[in-house]
Order: sequence, then structure tokens, then C-alpha cells
Amino acid sequence: MTTDEPYRWLDAIATRRDYIRDQLKGATPVFAISRPEGVLLVGVGTGQSKVFEVYDRLALAALGHPVDIEKIRQTVIEAAHHEGFARSPEDVTLRRLLNFSLGPALKTGFEQIFAAPLMVECAFAEVGATPADDVLARVNFDGTYRFEAGLAVVHTDPADEAAAAAWLRQQVGEETSLAEAGRLALAAWGALTTGKPFVAPEPAAAPALAGRTVEAALLERRGNARVRYRPLGRSELG
Amino acid sequence: MSGDGDFLALLPKNAFVSVPGDGRALAMEATTVFAFHYADGVIVAGDHRATAGNIVFSDRTEKILELDRHSLMAIAGSPSVAVEMARTLQTAFDFYRRSQLQPMSLAAKMRALSRLLHDNLPATLQGFGTVAPIFAGLDPATQRPSIFFYDPLGAQFEGVAYAGSGSGSGSIKSVLHFLEQWGRPKPVEMTLAQAVVLANRLLMTAAEFDTATGGVDPLREDFATIKLLEAGGVRSLSAAEQSAFWKEQPL
Repeated sequence: MTTDEPYRWLDAIATRRDYIRDQLKGATPVFAISRPEGVLLVGVGTGQSKVFEVYDRLALAALGHPVDIEKIRQTVIEAAHHEGFARSPEDVTLRRLLNFSLGPALKTGFEQIFAAPLMVECAFAEVGATPADDVLARVNFDGTYRFEAGLAVVHTDPADEAAAAAWLRQQVGEETSLAEAGRLALAAWGALTTGKPFVAPEPAAAPALAGRTVEAALLERRGNARVRYRPLGRSELG
Repeated sequence: MSGDGDFLALLPKNAFVSVPGDGRALAMEATTVFAFHYADGVIVAGDHRATAGNIVFSDRTEKILELDRHSLMAIAGSPSVAVEMARTLQTAFDFYRRSQLQPMSLAAKMRALSRLLHDNLPATLQGFGTVAPIFAGLDPATQRPSIFFYDPLGAQFEGVAYAGSGSGSGSIKSVLHFLEQWGRPKPVEMTLAQAVVLANRLLMTAAEFDTATGGVDPLREDFATIKLLEAGGVRSLSAAEQSAFWKEQPL
């Protein structure tokens, strides 16, 4: 196949997009939710497979092929530490990492049509001084990304993802505790993975996780510690 | 992308040298830092004076640096090189933990500091840029804190009960040795309040014999810089907390 003809290029890109979406179908969603205590990240996986510390105030929640998640994770961790060392930790911001490091790398990877594609969908979070200062970014496998206010849902189906985000925005109010927000995210996880309607969970009900474990972390807002990332135990999500 | 979590190996790839020898570094062997075991962990303390010859450069120098939640470095020697070493280690430890999804072992942390000291050998041999730090770290498996001191070439020694570095450390080590042998209580048996009072008295003793150690005067609410390494990790002790202990006079 030659790709110097415009229609063949478009064809190849469209096929690649379909192929990646098809491969990602079995992956389960992840969530990032801004709360007064900080930014909560939630996923369901095998232990250390969905939610990751990136830098002092930055974290990542991802779904996709484990090897590709690892590539993205290492790339962004290296870029963040290099920048933090060369300048200062305050200069490591999510906007700069996405604009100048991860975004271009993902786009280039996606368009290299003779190389294996990166099969990753993810959300990055940066905790700020107030919830309004938090930065949440939903990043797609092709390098496009958008910044979200309040919360970000990552799922393989764009329509279901939008529905889950809309439902969560209705459910998560100012009074919602961190544990409640976690339970709501897990309820959305259950609805998205089973195809059932979104239903607010009973306070004591344990979510059905299909034998997997909850991975959750908080980017803490308060305190003067340099490192804000703290993994959350199952009990802290209620 | 190497993927082995080695930040020191990442630096040259990006045209950075980890610790450059600084030809005009101040010679700050003139300082006093020390660490000793008390009942609940390790106390690391220092004065906050920086001098260049007979000039007091600053009386607000931070010499006890938190590298991560489980390790501390007390610096004596050329401040520009020492602070740069601490910054490099902070980044290296964080980078390893984040990229490898597990904390760096205590042995590897000690080795990393040893490597930086060894890389600094040319500056050390020329007589400037010398650094002789104290390192205190918590073993992630046992949660047991340990004290290590280094010579400027990078050899590391585990200071079983205590370690001291800098121009004023001689008299402090003498007192600590005496207390370890014949003290009642011995430093390792002391409560936190007793350890804090001892640390401040040790610095006042060092200042008596060393003009380059200074800035600690508990009677004027001016206390040592103190950080603690306990089973939970690193904790700083504020002047207010030290003041309360000092007023108790538990020793």
C-alpha cells in the first residue's frame, strides 16, 4: 500500500482509529473527581494498573494495553522530573506537559501508520490551591485532549462516557464527601461495564467489581508537603 | 526511555551534569550537624549559621534537608555542591518511586549519595567543593531508622549510635561518646523532650569552642534546626515545640 495518495492516507487513519477502538473495548473506565480535599482518582484493576503518581501535584488514571500505559507513564514521568530538576517543581504543570511533551508524542505515534499504535485512553489531574484551580485533562489515544471542570470520565465508548460524566455531575454536589464521591464513581463503573442504568449506590452496599480491586488515590490539597499523592485504602472510600 | 528508574543516568542524556564542581564554592566545613538515636527514632540537628572565613554569611541556613518521607541529609561542606546533591537525590528518589512503583531501598539510597560524592572527587581533591554529609534513612521493610556518615570520597559508615560533621562536631561527638558510655539516661534511652534539650545544649557547647557554629540561643527562643526520623517517616520540629520542651527542662 502506498500512502502518498490522500484518500489512502485517510483510509489508513480511519482504519487505525477503528482498530484501536475495537481493541480497547474490553477495558474498564477510570475517573478523576475534584473535591475540597483534593483530586480523587478511581479505577478498578489488578493493584497497580490504573491509577499512578506522576509528579508532586500530578497523577494519571488510564485504561488500555498495560504496555502502552507504561510507555505513556514513563514518558510523562521522565519529562516532569527533567523539567522539575532543570527549573523548579512549580514549573511542572499539566498544561505544559500536555502541550509540549505528551500531546505531540501521542499524535506522532498515532500517525505512524506502519508502527503498532498506542492503545491508551487516560485522564491527568493536577491539584491546585482551590477546587477551581484544579486542572483535569481527558487525553485520547490520538493525542487530542480537552480540559474538564470538576470531573473527568475515561471510557472506551464516547457516548457512554459523556452520559456517565453528566450523571456524575448531577450526583456530586458541594456536600458530597470524598467517600461518597468514590462510591458514586464505582457505581458509574458498574453501570458502564454492565450496560445497566446509572443508579446511586446504597450507603452500605459493596460494589460488584468482578473479582478486581479498587485502585484509588488522592492528590491532597491541604498541608505543606511537597508530594501530594496518597494512595487510598478501600476503607477510605466507604 | 530507559525504564530502570535511574535519574542519574537520565541527566547526561539531557545534557545535564548532576553535580558540577563549583570552582568558587565557599568552604563551609565551618558548620555543625549531628544525629543520634533516641528512644523513638533518630534526631538530626544542626545550627543555621553559614560562614566564609570570619564573615557570617547567613544565620538562617537550612542544613537538614528532607530527601523524601523516609530519608534526611544533614550537610556539611561546600553549600553549593551539598545543596545540589540533596536536590539531585530528592529527584532521584521520587523518580524511582514513581517510575518503578516501589520505593528505593535504603541500600540503594545510600549508594546514590556515595556515587554523587565520588563523582565530586576532582573538586574534593582540589580542596574546594568538599562535602561530608550525614544521611539518616528508614528501611521500608523494617521501619528501622539508621544513621550513616560519609567521608568526602564517598565511603559510607554506619554510625551505630551517633554521627557528627562540620567544624563544631568534635566537641559534640566527645559529649555524645561520653553519654553513650556513662550517661543516665543514655541518648538512645531519651524521650523526645530530653533529646531535643540535649541537641540544643550540644549546639551551645559546640558554639563555645567553634566560632563558626552559632545562631542557637534557647534563652532568646532561638532553637536548632531539628528533624526527626521515626517509624512513620520524617517530621520537622518547630521552634514552638522545642520551646515547650526547653521549658520542661526534662534533663
